[in-house]
Amino acid sequence: MAELNEIIHQPVRLRIMAALVALDADNEVEFTTLRDLLEATDGNLGAHLRKLEEAGYIAVNKTFVERKPRTFVSATGEGRRAFRAHVSALEEIIKK
Amino acid sequence: MNISPSEAEEALAAIQKMTRRTRHTISSSGAYIFLIYTGMIWLVGFLANQFLPGSQAVYVWAAVSILGSVLSIATGMRVSKRVQGPLTGMYGKRIGLFWLLLALFCCAVIAVIQPIDAKQLTLVIILFVLVGQSAMSLVFSFAYGWWAIPIGALALAGYFLMPGYFYLWMAVLVGGPMILLGLFIRWRW
Repeated sequence: MAELNEIIHQPVRLRIMAALVALDADNEVEFTTLRDLLEATDGNLGAHLRKLEEAGYIAVNKTFVERKPRTFVSATGEGRRAFRAHVSALEEIIKK
Repeated sequence: MNISPSEAEEALAAIQKMTRRTRHTISSSGAYIFLIYTGMIWLVGFLANQFLPGSQAVYVWAAVSILGSVLSIATGMRVSKRVQGPLTGMYGKRIGLFWLLLALFCCAVIAVIQPIDAKQLTLVIILFVLVGQSAMSLVFSFAYGWWAIPIGALALAGYFLMPGYFYLWMAVLVGGPMILLGLFIRWRW
C-alpha cells in the first residue's frame, strides 16, 4: 500500500510537483513561468523549491540565456516516482 | 500522516487542475499554435490552388508561407524560453540543419522523379514536411508531432481517392481539421 508523502502533500509543493510531472521527462520549466502558473510569490516559491530540492524530488538548473541569468526547474526520476506513489495513496484513501 | 477522504479528494482535484493548467499553458499544448498556423496556411494556400490561376496561387502560397514561418519562429522562441528540454539547446542548430537537408533532399527527389503534375509535386513536398515533423516528434516529444501521421494519411487519401478535388480536399479536410485540432487542444486538453 502506498503511503502519503509529507513533503509533497503541502498544498504549494503538491501543485509544484503536479506542474513539473505534467512536463515531458527531462523537460524543465523557467522559474517565472512556474511562479505565474502557481500564482505564487518569488520568495514563497523559492522556499518550497528548496525543500523539494533537498528531498531530491526536483533539480534546479541555473544558467544564462542570452546573457541573462535564468533558473529552470524539473522533476527528477525520484520525484516523479514519489509523486506517483503519493497520488496512489490519495486514491486508495478515497476508495476505502 | 492521516487525512480524510474529502481532503484526499481535494488534493487530487488540485493535482488535476494543475496538470491541466500546465499542459494548457506550456507543455504539450504548445503544439496547438503550430497546428493552427499550418492549418491556416494550408487552408488559404490550397483554396488558392483550387480556385485561382496557377500564377496567382504561387503568390498566395509565398505570402502565407513567409507569414507562417515568421509567426512559427517567433512562437517557437517564446515557448522555448518557458520550457526547455535537454536536447533543445544542444541540438538547436542541428534541427535547423536537418530541415535544410530535408529540403535539399526533397528537391533532389523531385528532380529525379519529375512529378507528372502539380498535385504530385505538392504531395511529395507535403510528405517530406510530415517526415520532418515525425522525426521531430520522435526526438523531442510524441505530443509535438503525432498529428503528422493522420494528416499524412488524409493527404494520401485525397490524392488517390479524390484527384479532381485534391486541393479542395487538402484545404477543407486537411487544413480545416488541423485548425480544429489546434483549437481543441487549446481549449479542451
